[in-house]
Amino acid sequence: MDYCIAVNSVEERNRTMSRQATSVNPKGIFDRSTKGRTLRPITVTVERARIQFFSQVLQEPDPLHHDIATARARGFADIVAPPSFYTAIDATVNEERRRLGQVSVAALIKCDFQRLLHGDEKYEFSGLIFAGDQVTLTTTIVDFYDKKGGALEFVTLASVLEHVTRGVLVRATRNLLHRLD
Amino acid sequence: MMHHDSLMNAKIGDKLPVFVFGPVSRGVLALYAGASGDHNLIHIDSDYAKNAGLPDVFAQGMLSFGVLAQVATRWAGIEHLRAFGARFVSITQVHDLITCTGEIIERMDVAGETQVRVALTATAQDGRQTLTGEAIVALR
Repeated sequence: MDYCIAVNSVEERNRTMSRQATSVNPKGIFDRSTKGRTLRPITVTVERARIQFFSQVLQEPDPLHHDIATARARGFADIVAPPSFYTAIDATVNEERRRLGQVSVAALIKCDFQRLLHGDEKYEFSGLIFAGDQVTLTTTIVDFYDKKGGALEFVTLASVLEHVTRGVLVRATRNLLHRLD
Repeated sequence: MMHHDSLMNAKIGDKLPVFVFGPVSRGVLALYAGASGDHNLIHIDSDYAKNAGLPDVFAQGMLSFGVLAQVATRWAGIEHLRAFGARFVSITQVHDLITCTGEIIERMDVAGETQVRVALTATAQDGRQTLTGEAIVALR
């Protein structure tokens, strides 16, 4: 299966968006009327045990990800989340949305999990994430587009993860797709 | 992890230490579902996967993504990672052995620090590329 996609910058997509109406794919499943929406920011606490479990499954060798004494010896207040831990925070935020009676991103854009694939994921890091951090995630549904003559439909999501005093920690871009054939 | 003095000597064409992960078992897929919060049943319930027309469960893309990032962080340490991204170019199947490699393709000075761009690839045991990605690593 080939579902490679060209990785365009969010800025490039934003420029394209301003010129084009939302595209239409008769087989499409995503709710394209959600394009341009920014979901209400959600704040969650980064749990130490979750970082330790996540790091163990990924076989992270650096004790910085599970041992507080190592973290303190290296000048940090607590253990550090591995680079891809962003995805666990994103999932925690969506669980919190459900608890608050709000819809998750997946529900809002109408993901069909039997047809859903991940196209790409990109992070720009401005700071480390520590256990105990209170972090706020803001996600925007940037665009919908098609490839392979409409056999694949994509959504671009852009998110900013911030700490109340340390500012932006991660800028994330995620492309998801549905197999429509 | 490399000593910072050796990091500063990094040059274009240098290959980073290889990281091999797996074979990816059903157990690891279940554990990663719990750890990541991605509870999509397509990765953990073979009945659900077959109902979706697939032969079996397949690995979460983000599992391989987290493994691939380690080529950069095992080499330089997470404090030096400035950016990381990857495309999922083919599905990582259950039982795949994932071999992750990295090569320095650019060296540049940005915002008062010297950085390198690392091209990263994850490959299954049959030579099939599963992820291609890039990391930006600060050397100072």
